[in-house]
Amino acid sequence: MSDSKRLLKQSMSTPHTRRRFLKTSAAGGAALMAPTLIPASALGQDGAVAPSERIVFGGIGIGNRGSFDLRMLLREPEVQFVALCDPQKGRVEAAKKLVDARYDNHDCQLYHDIRVFLAERNDIDAVLSTTGDRWHALAAIMAMRAGKDVYSEKPSCMTIKEGRAVVETAERYGRIYQTGTQRLSEANFTFANELLRTGKLGKVHTVYAHIAPWDAAEMSYDWRPEEPLPPKEECDWDHWLGPCPWRPYNSEYVKGGWRGFYDFHTSCIGEWGTHTFAQCQVAMGMQNTAALEYGYVNNPYGEGMVTVFENGVKMILTRDMEKKMLKGSCAVRYEGDEGWVTVGDGYEKPEVSSPALLENFDKVVNEYMERTGRPMNHWRNYVDCIKNRKHCVADEKVMHYSMATVHAANICMWLKRDMKYDPKKEEFINDPEANRLCSRAMREPWII
Amino acid sequence: MSLSATRIAALTAVSAAEGEAALIAVIESKDSSRKEIADACRELARVGTKKSVKPLAALLGSAEHSHMARYGLETIADSSVDSALRSALSELKGLQRIGVIGSLGVRKDGKAVKALAGLLSDSYPVTVQAAARALGSIGGSGASKALLSALGETSGQNQLAVSEGLFRCAEGFAASGDSKQAKAIYAKLASASEFKQVERAAKAAM
Repeated sequence: MSDSKRLLKQSMSTPHTRRRFLKTSAAGGAALMAPTLIPASALGQDGAVAPSERIVFGGIGIGNRGSFDLRMLLREPEVQFVALCDPQKGRVEAAKKLVDARYDNHDCQLYHDIRVFLAERNDIDAVLSTTGDRWHALAAIMAMRAGKDVYSEKPSCMTIKEGRAVVETAERYGRIYQTGTQRLSEANFTFANELLRTGKLGKVHTVYAHIAPWDAAEMSYDWRPEEPLPPKEECDWDHWLGPCPWRPYNSEYVKGGWRGFYDFHTSCIGEWGTHTFAQCQVAMGMQNTAALEYGYVNNPYGEGMVTVFENGVKMILTRDMEKKMLKGSCAVRYEGDEGWVTVGDGYEKPEVSSPALLENFDKVVNEYMERTGRPMNHWRNYVDCIKNRKHCVADEKVMHYSMATVHAANICMWLKRDMKYDPKKEEFINDPEANRLCSRAMREPWII
Repeated sequence: MSLSATRIAALTAVSAAEGEAALIAVIESKDSSRKEIADACRELARVGTKKSVKPLAALLGSAEHSHMARYGLETIADSSVDSALRSALSELKGLQRIGVIGSLGVRKDGKAVKALAGLLSDSYPVTVQAAARALGSIGGSGASKALLSALGETSGQNQLAVSEGLFRCAEGFAASGDSKQAKAIYAKLASASEFKQVERAAKAAM
């Protein structure tokens, strides 16, 4: 038996030594099930939060972005991180420093293999998963099967089928799921969404969604030049690749240089469309569907692609910021027959067609928070939902349907033709070739 | 043939048949590199037909190419893919067999149920788990019967995978209107699982 097979067998037959299950709380009519809550007498907190309120967390794949998410979650008083998992030793040790510094101890446990991590740590209620894109769906599914709630960075799936599998798993096990489209929990973006939702812009006919101004829609199949494999305990390359096709090791990949490659990335459209499509779809009330029509554009980026939703509204992809008067990043613009609003990162306040629209900014945002119970803090929303078992603002369906629009737009660009998509059947209409791009065989043994 | 040449050959061929033929030539050539074969398999996932099945299936036993062979095969609608995968299932061991098990599940091949059910008692845990999930994806009475039998015979991660398979079966029954079979599975899961998340999910679904 090879080392990898022995490790695998050992991993999968690990006994469950720390199983702690607790009671199910009332779910307030929701189908989602309660987290496991453990006494926190050994956790060294200041007593501000009762032990029964503590939520035990683990982290998966905490890198640069993950460290930001980790810091945000460490601010929440109920959150207690106890373990981290990553096939890269340097990354996981750096993340451990953040956790240990927060609790002023050295207790955070480290894991190399997600299967061992999930099988052994039955004390963990919820995870933060911030792997590279290729692992997002699989890690979330594995964690939810293990009974964990999941905060997964975006984009949360590599294919439409993966997104569907995340939805099915979350529903099957009653897990809370939040994807990292944090602008859904920011006041400026929320205000813009509320203007649209409440009819202040009149009948909305067009929305613009910012796509990333780097990379292209066309993806590369290239391999970087082969470099010697690092020691497995430093970086497990096979594990890093996970469900993706094998390719030779190159250190640039594990430093973050995986964008632009078909096997690892969802293009300039997915990079920011994950955020902006979700913004637009939630604003329009189209969060449980995907765009029906996709118009191919003959440029490398998808610039100007017109997509159409069942409400007749056009969502236009753009990276041409000046032309559409967009600033910052991940900007959106909503145009109705009575006004418009534009917002992006870095706006002091949204830009609007009439100053009167901004007069009730605070009131609008406050009323949104009161109506939905959702704070202007994405990570806090996740923690709240773990406790109250309500759906997060960027739950599995918001993720899946906005990503379905992302994937369909990508496929439209790759096949260079107009397309129609049926969001109910989750397939392209009369286009078997496009439907064949809705899934990818996963590399053994990483099979959903 | 280089990456770009492979891709260009497929995309700009006068006919789809010519593109497919060029890709098959790449995967059959002893001179092709691992990357060239991987790229060709990826393209065949998009354009391959029955003609590609035999050349792709010939790679299923290769440690280097097995995954990409499945990558090409999984999306080909022809039933000869299922036959090829079933044949490989009986011949392969280890990781390559686990991959084939997964692909049979993705393709929901009802004719594979008996063989997959036999793997629920395999000595290699990852094989058991893959077979359990694949049976769940295939669904139906045969699959659910095998999984229900395995539920009490397994523990730990194997039982968790068997439970996952049973959830998938139950959801399939419910979707087809057979709530009786679905509820029976949920009842069994609620009472027999060692995992609280399974018990809670089953009770919620009942």
